Amino acid sequence: MNAPDLNTTDTSPVQSGRGRWAALAIAGLGVLVLVMAFAVSTGEIRVPFAVIAKTLGNKLFGAAYSLDPIQEGIIWNYRLSRTVVAACSGTALALSGAILQALLRNPLAEPYVLGISAGASTGAVAIVILGFGGGLLSLSGGAFIGALGAFGLVALLASGSGGGGDRVVLAGIAGSQLFNALTAYIVTTSANAEQARGVMFWLLGSLSGTNWADVGIAAPVALIGVLLCLLHARTLDAFAFGADAAASLGIAVTRVRVVLFALTAAMTAVMVSLVGSIGFVGLVVPHAMRLVVGPTHGRLLPASAVAGAVFMVLADLVSRIIVPQQVVPIGVVTALVGAPAFAVLLTRSRRTA
Amino acid sequence: MSISIREAVWKAGRTLILDGVNIEVPQGQVLGLLGPNGSGKSSLLRLICRLRPLASGVIALDGRDIETFSRRELAQRLALVEQQAGTDAPMTVLDVARLGRTPHRGALAAWARHDEEAVESALRATDLWEKRRQTWRTLSGGERQRVQIARALAQEPTELLLDEPTNHLDIRHQLDLLGLLRRLPITSVVALHDLNLAAAFCDRLVVLRAGRVAAAGTVAEVLTPDLIATVFGVTAQIFYRADRPQIAFVT
Amino acid sequence: MSFRLSLAAALAAAAFATPALAESTVYPLTLENCGRSITFEKAPSRAVSIGQSNTEILLSLGLAEKVVGTAVWFSPVMKAFEAENAKIPRLADNDPSFESVVKQQPDLVTAQYEWHVGPNGSVGTRDQFADLKIPTYIAPADCVAKDNSGGGDGVRLKMFTMDLVYQQILDLAKIFDVNDRGEALVAKLKQREAAAIALASGAAGKNVTMAFWFSSPKIPGDSYIAGINGGAGYIMHVLGAKDIIDLKDEWPLVSWERVTAANPTVLVIAEMSRRRHPADSAEAKRAFLKTDPVAGQMDAVKHDRIITIDAQAMDPGIRTIEGIEQVAQGLKKFGLSY
Repeated sequence: MNAPDLNTTDTSPVQSGRGRWAALAIAGLGVLVLVMAFAVSTGEIRVPFAVIAKTLGNKLFGAAYSLDPIQEGIIWNYRLSRTVVAACSGTALALSGAILQALLRNPLAEPYVLGISAGASTGAVAIVILGFGGGLLSLSGGAFIGALGAFGLVALLASGSGGGGDRVVLAGIAGSQLFNALTAYIVTTSANAEQARGVMFWLLGSLSGTNWADVGIAAPVALIGVLLCLLHARTLDAFAFGADAAASLGIAVTRVRVVLFALTAAMTAVMVSLVGSIGFVGLVVPHAMRLVVGPTHGRLLPASAVAGAVFMVLADLVSRIIVPQQVVPIGVVTALVGAPAFAVLLTRSRRTA
Repeated sequence: MSISIREAVWKAGRTLILDGVNIEVPQGQVLGLLGPNGSGKSSLLRLICRLRPLASGVIALDGRDIETFSRRELAQRLALVEQQAGTDAPMTVLDVARLGRTPHRGALAAWARHDEEAVESALRATDLWEKRRQTWRTLSGGERQRVQIARALAQEPTELLLDEPTNHLDIRHQLDLLGLLRRLPITSVVALHDLNLAAAFCDRLVVLRAGRVAAAGTVAEVLTPDLIATVFGVTAQIFYRADRPQIAFVT
Repeated sequence: MSFRLSLAAALAAAAFATPALAESTVYPLTLENCGRSITFEKAPSRAVSIGQSNTEILLSLGLAEKVVGTAVWFSPVMKAFEAENAKIPRLADNDPSFESVVKQQPDLVTAQYEWHVGPNGSVGTRDQFADLKIPTYIAPADCVAKDNSGGGDGVRLKMFTMDLVYQQILDLAKIFDVNDRGEALVAKLKQREAAAIALASGAAGKNVTMAFWFSSPKIPGDSYIAGINGGAGYIMHVLGAKDIIDLKDEWPLVSWERVTAANPTVLVIAEMSRRRHPADSAEAKRAFLKTDPVAGQMDAVKHDRIITIDAQAMDPGIRTIEGIEQVAQGLKKFGLSY
């Protein structure tokens, strides 16, 4: 066996990485802040940039600019809170996708494709419209149970395939069809045109009507999600060759699976109960980031967190301005990007299988 | 005893795979695990790693029951190289080898110099240092197997378990690998098909048949024409060269 | 303003003109209705009415005994007809099934909306009924110059006017051979319309903008605000007020950003008995307006210039007159008319 050559000039990226990592993180967050500022200043109603700056001055720094209260309110209460919730939900969904892709070893895994979002919708709708739980369960609680239920169903349908391959995705598609049908059935007790639109919220998502109370729920969930994910970054790397390989590397596989699947279900459930079911974020963002920063989760997870937030903020912006005077459901926008990406990934995985 | 297996019984569902296996592996030796397909070699290796629970019996490392180890403690001692391992992730050779350091690092511990040295020496030992930036997808079957071995070596184990590691390797790398195992001061248990390789590189042999130990002992004790005929169903002639048997099969 | 005064004058004149003695219907009667010819051998005696406005027209024409089933109710029936209506079987509060309608063995089915009986009808298509020899009558208000192909509430290409409802009344009166009652009803409605317009005359001079809020699928969230060509659009038009949006869709989903930025002079909110959406009740709407930090800043909310009318009155139908009356009274109360 050769003695290690300590004079190698080829230093691995990780060793010089600490400083670079910090710089990249700051750059990423900077991009996010810029995108959010852009989203807040753009919309149906034109608000001059000076007003936006003054609003932020008033609200954040206690300045006392006199502004039209409606314009101030639109910027602060409507657009800023909406943008923050969009960012948080983008982060949560992107991280959920990354976790599922690592644990299930399937590049097509993400909460929407696997029917977890659909299950969360059904759970939430059952609480609100059918009154399940008799007031003991909140909307998010119902969504969480629905998300776990969808998980269980998909696990059941996919069991025996070793967790990989197309079977998980097929099971997910079956599950999401089932739960979406249940949601539609519960919401539409008659085929009135307006009820049909009510279902759209649960099926395609909408960020309209978000306010600071929603931020109070979304932000902590997103932050906790980011922290827990970063703590498990190395663990997720260990799953690259399967659960047995991870166990042989010292990972407590069952405990990790329970914690991370529960985290995914919780993050998805909370976001679905706030903004409805929005698809493909968890699929597109981690894959795009893998191309940029590589598959190591220590880099992939933070990159996905930031990119997910940016993606969702931009998707919300597009949904607001693409059709004048009307609002397109945000799920349509993410699907227009995500469905082609899904098709590309599917054909690529077929070829290498 | 580095590894000690006593009355190990294991079932897969209703099927009895291992029926009271007893094996002792002294420290630093290379134990060859032989036997026809389905004799339970892979299952035994997985049981030693505690990837599956024993139905009954005890497996101990240096006298300590493996059930008393935490998963992480176990992984710091034992490394397993499985027959087939694949991934879709676009990992490089270096990424995979680095996985071997997982049991030794906490969730937030920075990457230490020692980690880097362990990975580099593992890659050099498997002749993959020059290819460390290549992605998994572009590797040949043999190269993939060597990466897994490098990963296992990077774990700096005291016991190394390998399930048919030479399957896809060309002859040069087969000899290199087994030679390496002999030189390393770690205990190795290697499941092999090639009787000549087993004869050339192992210190002791265990032959499994239908979940039981059909023979155990030194190479010379175990590899006799009678045993080969009984267990493997083939006729063989044994020649000796420098103390090591060489088996010629009679077709 | 001059247009409106002349409109008011014309309606008043029409109302006071002595009606000639109405003729009797000659059977077999063939009518054109929404692109289809329907024929009656005699006056129907077993009508099923799908749509509250239709039902109330039939009741107003004194035809309660000829109605054997009703469906689609948004709010309690007009007070005057409570007793009679109680005797008529209600097939469903919302969409009835095709079979439940046919089970009543009707010889006429009237529908208020094409999305109930029409090319994409949830109850059935006109062909399905025609196959069973049941003629169908669709309210002209829902098919004349209206594009229902896109689903939803449809897009109205030309503004709705009460003439479409008057035509419906006269058509139904002809079908049932109660022409004199039909003409009397139309005269009365025209009189009421003229009176209401006179009450609010001059509102245009005050640059009144309005938003009609029907309901919202999510509260807080985007809301169904009236477009310019529907029943609400007609109310605004005859009273001289301007809609804050200029979409031709009946009930587009509009963000509160747009509504608050437009800052309408008056808000008209719907009350209904249905509770499917969180914002169905007027109370929920008021609560949102008062507590939302941005909506609460609108002039209409700060000065309580909010008018509540029945949801029926916002859609084209016989109750549109009621809508005009109530909004006119509100405008007068707020001092927005002369």
